Amino acid sequence: MIISTGIEELDNMIDGGLRTGNCYAIKGTAGAGKTVLSLFMTMGALKQDIPVLFISTEVEPDKLIEYVKSFGMDFQPYIDNNMLIVDKMSLKPQGVGLVQTDRFDLSGIITRVKKRIEDIKAKLVFFDSASAFFAEFQYEKTARSSFMDFIREITDVGSSLVLTAESKGAEDFTTLEEFLVDGVIKIRTELKNNQLIKRISVPKLRSAQPISSENRFIINKQGIMILRSEQPPTILITEEETGIQRLDELLGGGIPNGTVVLIELDGETNYFPLFLTTLHKHLNQGKGVVIHSNVHMYPAKILEEYKRAKTDITKHLNEGNIVFIDKYNRSVTAVEAREMRQLMTTDDMISVTVELMEAFEKAKQEVVLYGDLTDDVNILSESNFLRYFALQSFNVKERRAIAYSFINFNAISREILARLRTTADIIIRFSRVDYCNYIECLKSSTGATFLPKIVKFRDTIPLIEIIG
Amino acid sequence: MVLKIMCFTSPTCSWCPYIKDVLKRIVAQTEHLELEIIDITKDIDKAEEYDVIALPTIILPNNQRIIGAADEAFIQEQLDFFLDFG
Repeated sequence: MIISTGIEELDNMIDGGLRTGNCYAIKGTAGAGKTVLSLFMTMGALKQDIPVLFISTEVEPDKLIEYVKSFGMDFQPYIDNNMLIVDKMSLKPQGVGLVQTDRFDLSGIITRVKKRIEDIKAKLVFFDSASAFFAEFQYEKTARSSFMDFIREITDVGSSLVLTAESKGAEDFTTLEEFLVDGVIKIRTELKNNQLIKRISVPKLRSAQPISSENRFIINKQGIMILRSEQPPTILITEEETGIQRLDELLGGGIPNGTVVLIELDGETNYFPLFLTTLHKHLNQGKGVVIHSNVHMYPAKILEEYKRAKTDITKHLNEGNIVFIDKYNRSVTAVEAREMRQLMTTDDMISVTVELMEAFEKAKQEVVLYGDLTDDVNILSESNFLRYFALQSFNVKERRAIAYSFINFNAISREILARLRTTADIIIRFSRVDYCNYIECLKSSTGATFLPKIVKFRDTIPLIEIIG
Repeated sequence: MVLKIMCFTSPTCSWCPYIKDVLKRIVAQTEHLELEIIDITKDIDKAEEYDVIALPTIILPNNQRIIGAADEAFIQEQLDFFLDFG
């Protein structure tokens, strides 16, 4: 039986979920979030109607139940329905004098835990934390070796056992439990730019090949989030066709996912043929599309342009495959409009970014993003604009999305253009000499650049034809 | 007044037979002392009540606990301390 942890990304990391009959260790330094993760995993299992036994060695059950409430979860109904037992077990009850020798075993706790498992038919057992438990023993070595019996006996009854253990050093990998358990989930904290950043990895997994990457691990009041770090490129780089066959060939197959494409134009060349052709292609491939609307890119205009090319995308609009994010229509009064330069502040950039993230979240498929940067560069201050562009680029790369950013290179300074070019992965440039249009690729992530080629515009999709 | 020593054991615990013998000998030699041996597999509620983790666990009448099999002299010493005191 495989028990989902309730955290999708974690399930992916441990090959689908926790196996019954297996033992896992959650390792991490103090405050890394081992207990919180265990509590969320408890809730995840309970939601699937899987009975859980949660043994704490440090915290009283009522305190733990209260603590869980601060994350918006309630254990009480599950306890009342005999789906969950939260219990405290420790060697030294309060107010008791203790003398220890090294001639003992842990059959006391084994018998008690097995009885509890039987009471509610628990399939998942948490033991939080093994380190605190051992710390109570004067003869820790004996306790640890007897703990092997504990692991064996609990997993033998067909439950999945999850231990939490504190790792002392940065790379402490040789404690006894790690040899015994079937999987290790490791949470590491590091100080980066004055912020504590948590990372989660699975260094050991007996049932499957462990995933070598380390992901961001975030705990907040809403719950636990695991952000997947960028995977090794050989696995994940897939290319998306643009819909312009010759361009795909020249680029070596298309546009790789997680790419920011900068399309440079002079003021006279219309970018709509390229925009509409790629948009059409991506929509037909089942991709979600986010459009930063502006004076050119808005629903009615886009529909109109498609109509001219005898194509209808109303279906996609109706199905919500296209999300429009309006940057300039946020309650602008006449006075504010005059001060537009000040208006588009850092806050606005953040709100646009948040909207974009929400749009990404809504779109379950992979996403393609379109935006015309020319207006932004005129409205925002230079540094704000570049920061905004970099921020959006990070989002795009993190989500393995594709962004097409159009810019009029005549309307911006050389410095800004140079910096945009640095951030972009692919640069496609349209230019015009003597009423003849040319397309060229100045930079690409795969290294496939090409010299100017003649472009012909057509009436039907694909609206662009590249000659030569 | 009779003072009670409790000894938690289980059939699988390897040090339990030894400590049971030791305690039986001590109790036989000492007045006002009785021994209760609890097999936790038979009386798990008692194990819960006294929060027993490791076996053998000996609970002396002054609520002092001995975890693990101590030798006779050691237990006698612990007992003497509070028996004299009492």
